[in-house]
Amino acid sequence: MTAAHSAPVAAPAVGPRAPAAWRRRTVPWVFAGPAAALLGLFFAYPLAASLLQSLQTEDGGLGFGHYARLAGDPSFLRSLLNAGLILVVQVPVMIGVATVLAYALNQSWLRFRATLRAAYFLPAVTTLVAYAVVFRVLLRTEGGAVNQVLGTQVDWLNDPFWARVALIGSITWRWAGYNAVILLAGLQAIGREQHEAAAIDGAGPLTAFTRVILPQLKPVLLFCSITSTIGTLQLFDEPMVLTGGGPGDATLTPILYLYQVGFRQFDFGYAAAIAWAVVVLIGGLSWLQFRYVGRERA
Amino acid sequence: MKTTHVIAALTAGLTLSACATGGAPAKEAPKLAQPSAAAKLSGKIEIWSWDVAAKALQRLAPEFEKEHPGVEVDVRDIGYDNAYDKITVGLKSGSGLPDVITLEDTAIAGYAENFPGGLVDLTPVAAKYKADFDPAKWAAASNAKGLYALPWDSAPVGLFYRRDYFQQAGVDPESVATWDDLVKAGEKIKQATGKRLFVSDLTNPAAFTTLLQQLGQGYVKNGEVAVASPAAVRALTLLKTLKDKDLLQNEKGWDGRVSATKQGKAATQPTAAWWTGTLTGEMPELSGKFGVIPLPAFDPGGARTSANGGSALSITAQTRNQDLAWAFMEWLLAGKDRQVSMMRTESLFPAYLPALADPYFDEPQPYFGGQKVNRLFADQVRHIPPVELSGDDKQAEELLKKAVPGVLLNGADPRTALDEAARQLAAATERKVAS
Repeated sequence: MTAAHSAPVAAPAVGPRAPAAWRRRTVPWVFAGPAAALLGLFFAYPLAASLLQSLQTEDGGLGFGHYARLAGDPSFLRSLLNAGLILVVQVPVMIGVATVLAYALNQSWLRFRATLRAAYFLPAVTTLVAYAVVFRVLLRTEGGAVNQVLGTQVDWLNDPFWARVALIGSITWRWAGYNAVILLAGLQAIGREQHEAAAIDGAGPLTAFTRVILPQLKPVLLFCSITSTIGTLQLFDEPMVLTGGGPGDATLTPILYLYQVGFRQFDFGYAAAIAWAVVVLIGGLSWLQFRYVGRERA
Repeated sequence: MKTTHVIAALTAGLTLSACATGGAPAKEAPKLAQPSAAAKLSGKIEIWSWDVAAKALQRLAPEFEKEHPGVEVDVRDIGYDNAYDKITVGLKSGSGLPDVITLEDTAIAGYAENFPGGLVDLTPVAAKYKADFDPAKWAAASNAKGLYALPWDSAPVGLFYRRDYFQQAGVDPESVATWDDLVKAGEKIKQATGKRLFVSDLTNPAAFTTLLQQLGQGYVKNGEVAVASPAAVRALTLLKTLKDKDLLQNEKGWDGRVSATKQGKAATQPTAAWWTGTLTGEMPELSGKFGVIPLPAFDPGGARTSANGGSALSITAQTRNQDLAWAFMEWLLAGKDRQVSMMRTESLFPAYLPALADPYFDEPQPYFGGQKVNRLFADQVRHIPPVELSGDDKQAEELLKKAVPGVLLNGADPRTALDEAARQLAAATERKVAS
C-alpha cells in the first residue's frame, strides 16, 4: 500500500525526462532492494564469512587445514556413520508408516478423519523440548512407562544400541504424521475413476494399491525422501536433548558435533568447516535424488 | 514446512558460526583498575547465575544495596541449560553480557584462553587475597597472563561410607588409608554384604578426572597433552582394577547414582562435600547410616582429597561499572560473613579459607551419627591438589568419554586407550604429547 502511494511521488524526483526504459530497470530494484539487502546481510554475508572462516588457519593464513583434519577426525566420521545409519533405517521405516497412515486416512468410510489427521500431525508442531522431556521420562530405565509396558529393563538412553533405537523411534514419532499429511495430499490428487477402473479390471485392494496408487505417488514419495534425508543430515534437537550424543558417540550427529566443536570447544573455524562439509553432502545427495525425479518424469 | 524449517536451522547454524568470523581481535584483557578509596559506589550491575548460586545472590544482594544506598544489584537466574551458550555468544560477539557472570571452575580456562579480552583481569585488586583462597580454585581461575575469576565455593572430595556395611564386614573405616586398602576392604565387604564398593557411571569420565586431580594433574601439563601420562594411566588402572573385581556399581547419570545410593546398593561413595545436601535432602530415612573419611591416598602420605565441582564469579569486559562489580564480588566472596552465611543457607562450601575457621563447621551432624563432617571437609580444602586447566579441556573430555568406557566397559587396555586419546587430542589442538 505504501509502495503504491510512494511510486508517483518518487517519479518526479527521477525527473520527467527520465527515459522509460531506465525507470523500468530501476523501479523493480527499489522494490526488491530492501529484501535483497536483508538477504545479503543475513544470508549471503554469513555464508561467505563462514566459508572464509573455515579456510582460516591457526597462523592467520588461508588453507584447507580444517578440511584435511575433518577427513581424519574419528568423531566426525563416526557422526557421519550415525547419520547414515539413521538415513538407511529410519527414513524408509518412516515413509512406509506415513504411506500406510495416509492410505488409511484417505478411506471414505473412516470416521473422525479430520480429528485423526490433526492428531497424527500434532507431533510435528509440538515444542521439541516438551516432547523430549516427556520421552526422557517415558524411556527411563527404572519405572519408565515404556519398560513397564514391555516388561523389560532396557537402558534406553545409555546403551549404544538402544539409544539409537530410541532416537530413531522418537524421530519417526515426530515426523511420520507430517509426511503422512503430504502423502495424503498426493493420494487425493489421484482421481476416483482410477480406483474404479482398477476395480472393474478385477484388481483387489492390495493390487490396486501397489500397481495403481503407489506408482502415481512416486513424486510425492521422492519429495518426502529428499526432505527427510536433509532432515537426517541436519539432525540436532533430538540427540542434543535425549542423549547428548552419547553414550560415547553412539548418537553423535554431524550438526551436534558442529555445536560441540563451536560452542563447547570454541573452535569456530573447524565448526564452519563441518558446516560446509555437511552442505556439500546434502547438496550432493539432493542432486542425486532430483536427477532421479527428473528422469522419472521424462 | 519441514524444508523451510531445515533450511532455517541450517542458516541459523551457519550464521552462528559465521558471526564468529567477526571475532574479537586478540587483545590483552583489560585490567581492573584499583578503585580510589574515596570513590562512592553508585549505579547498577547485572549478574547472571543459576540454581542455588542464583538463590544465594538474590538473598544477599538486598543486604549489599542497603549498605550502599543508591546502588542496584540485579540478579538474573538464566538457568544452567543455556547459560554457557549465552555466555559464549556474548563473548564472541562482544555484546549482550552483563557485568558479572557465574562460571564453573572447569569453564574459566576455556573462556580466558579462547576469548582474550573478554573477561577482566582481576590481578590488580584481587592478588592480595591469594593466600586466603583454596589454592586449587585459585589455580583454576588463573592462567599465565592473569586472574579471570574470584573463587566462590569449593568442592573437597572425601569418601562417604555406610557404617552398617563396614561393621557387618568387620572393616574399620579409619584403617583405610590408601586405595589398596580400600580395594581389599571392598572385597571383604562384598563377600559379607553382597554390596559393591561404589556407584560410578562407567560411560562418564568424571571419576577418572577426580582421581587424576588427586594425583595432582589435569588433562594438560606445561601446555602439553597429558591424558596418557603415568598418573593418568595409574588413575584409569585403579578404576579398571575395581571394575575387574566387580566392585563398581554401574549406574547411569545423576538419577542413577541417587537412586542406587537410596537403595543401599553400594558401601562407599567418593564424592564432594555437596553430596551431604543430596543425602539429607533425598534420603532422610538413611540418617545415621553414613560416615565420612578422607579420600584414600594413592601412596601412603599422598593427598587425601580432590575436587569435583565449584564455581567462581567473573567480571566481563563489557561492564560499564567495574568498581561496583568488584566491590560486590569482594563483599560477597572475600569475607567470612557472607561465605559462612551461604554455607549455612545454600550449602555452598567456602573457598575463602578464613571462613572455614567458623564454629559452624565444628557442629556435629546428626545425620552422620554426630560426626563433624563439615570440619573434615574444611580441613581438606587447603590440600586439594591444584591442577593446570586449559582451553582444550572440553575437547579432552569429549575424547575421554570414548576412551574411559572403552576400558571399563569393553576391556581395552588403559595405556593403549589413553595413548589413542592423547594422539587425537594432540592432533586436534596442535599441542605436543607430554613425554
